[in-house]
Amino acid sequence: MHPSSPQTQKYAQVLRARAVARSDGTIALHAPAVGLWRGQPAAGALLREGAVIGQIEQLGALYELVCPAGAHGIVAPPDPAHEPLSRRPVAYDDLLLILAPQAAAAVAAAIAAAAPAAAGHGLSQRAPSSGRFYGRPSPERPPFLRVGDQVHEGQVIGLLEVMKTFTRIHYGGGELPTPARVTALLVQDDADVAAGDPLIAVEPLS
Amino acid sequence: MLDSARGSRRPPPLFHRIFIANRGEVAARIARACDALGITPVFAVSTADRGAAYTEGRETVCIGPARSSHSYLDARSLVQAAVQSRCTAVHPGWGFLSENPAFAALCAAHGLTFIGPPPPVMHLMGKKTPAKQAMRAAGLTMIPGSDGILRDLDHAQAVADQIGYPVLLKAESGGGGRGMRIARSASEVAQAYNDAGAEARAAFGDDRLYLERLIEGGRHVEIQILADRYGDVVHLGERDCTVQRSHQKLIEESPSPVLPEPERERCLAAAVRAAASIGYVGAGTMEFLLDEGGVLRFMEMNTRLQVEHCVSEQRSGRDLVVEQIYVAAGHPLRFSQQEVHLQGHAIECRINAEDPSDDFRPAPGVITRWHVPTGDPELRVDTHVSAGYEIPPNYDSLICKVIARGPTRDAAIDRMIHALGAMVCEGVPTTVAMHLTILRSRAFREHRYDTRKIPGWST
Repeated sequence: MHPSSPQTQKYAQVLRARAVARSDGTIALHAPAVGLWRGQPAAGALLREGAVIGQIEQLGALYELVCPAGAHGIVAPPDPAHEPLSRRPVAYDDLLLILAPQAAAAVAAAIAAAAPAAAGHGLSQRAPSSGRFYGRPSPERPPFLRVGDQVHEGQVIGLLEVMKTFTRIHYGGGELPTPARVTALLVQDDADVAAGDPLIAVEPLS
Repeated sequence: MLDSARGSRRPPPLFHRIFIANRGEVAARIARACDALGITPVFAVSTADRGAAYTEGRETVCIGPARSSHSYLDARSLVQAAVQSRCTAVHPGWGFLSENPAFAALCAAHGLTFIGPPPPVMHLMGKKTPAKQAMRAAGLTMIPGSDGILRDLDHAQAVADQIGYPVLLKAESGGGGRGMRIARSASEVAQAYNDAGAEARAAFGDDRLYLERLIEGGRHVEIQILADRYGDVVHLGERDCTVQRSHQKLIEESPSPVLPEPERERCLAAAVRAAASIGYVGAGTMEFLLDEGGVLRFMEMNTRLQVEHCVSEQRSGRDLVVEQIYVAAGHPLRFSQQEVHLQGHAIECRINAEDPSDDFRPAPGVITRWHVPTGDPELRVDTHVSAGYEIPPNYDSLICKVIARGPTRDAAIDRMIHALGAMVCEGVPTTVAMHLTILRSRAFREHRYDTRKIPGWST
């Protein structure tokens, strides 16, 4: 399905999206295969090489779809022409996502600036253990959080799947302010996270 | 099921949407049949064919990159594309996956009707010695040979001595001319056997060989078959495809100008019986070699629509693709053998974007001017190209087929010469001039040629 190494790619479990640099500085991710695209990352999610951006379902088989080398950035808001579908049929080379690297750089700078503070003041919520993070209650439901949302202590910000068991991740603990405003979603839906990975970045409200 | 399908007043419904798992001329041809039946065709396109003029105003699904191994030969992508574009049937066209039983089975496994024969029949006819055994058992005349796989060199030597030289040793899994060796005398058998086996083992991982009498310079004659699911089979006459260049057919015509009438009758009837005996369904073609004694000897069966099917359509007035769709939808044949009236003489020229003056080098590029004659009901032009079309470098070089009919062979040839003379194609070289040379040659008019020699053309 990918032009390189047909034999190994053919039945591989991982497909790489195709990245195309656009004239406005953004990066377009295109479908590497025909199929149903599930688990689309939410607008505002930060993606980098190797990040999972859902699955391509082809004849009932799931291929993990990942970000290719050189593609990183914040997921731009979806095209209003595409109504949100839990499984969107895509053709080969269809446009999947647009990534804004500048926005990512800005967020990265903000995170870097906030990092010392985060250590002291706890401005990012971290994964309690390693597992698979889900940013929405089910594939067809809206995400728990969007950038700009308010969060307060105890609010569910995501699900963590550890050895087939789902647990809710509640906001709060440590030095995290409450209420707070979400400034970035640092992990996309359906991504593997390690214990201590930052999940969302927040800033104190007011 | 059988009785209800035949006897019911309401025939089975046709498909609403058919997925065309092919490109170019055959894709346009299938879409035309869909249009006639009120069916929506959905075209598979690679990135190289995306936006091509023949898909204008059509539904398309991009199934992969230009390279056909990742697009038109990628069975899983094609079936997924057919399913998600809400098609219920798949037409494979010719070439690509059209004779691949695994693809047909994959379609069926995902609820799609494959417009072609059942996968086991395709599988049987796709294997050399099993196909020949089935056809011998059904009463077709074979090329004398080993009647199966050779056990060893001694077996090869014994069979060769018995049938007479020259003989051809062929790989059971062979193709594309590989794994074949000629032995012209008893002393050459051992060398040929070992060389063919070694080449076949290296190329196909299978060194099984069989042996046939080598028939040099025969004529290529094939029989068009159409069968339904209920055991009825008809033929639409034969086609003579002797004018070839390195096994690529250039000109096809019907009827064969040199086939003796008793042999024609015998073989047409035998082909129908043979197709019925293997449970064939849909359109198919049995290919024969007409030897010097005027006997048609079975070579192989193509379990699909063929490029030159138009020749039989023009003589019979039947639309083979429409009939394929009816048969696939479960209809019984819509006409009997008595209702097949083959009239006049039809001839087809395949026009390729190749340069005959440069050893037939394929010539992709943009067609800047394009005109084909229209308005003559005895003339048919099947094509997917038009002015401005860019012939991609990834696929075959066929750009157009011209089919002319007339009351006699000479009349059909004259009509063809007139049509080709009026054709305009600028931007890429074509084989039109070569066709005109052949058609005007005395050798072609007087049937003095075989598969080894293009009449009137010196290469």
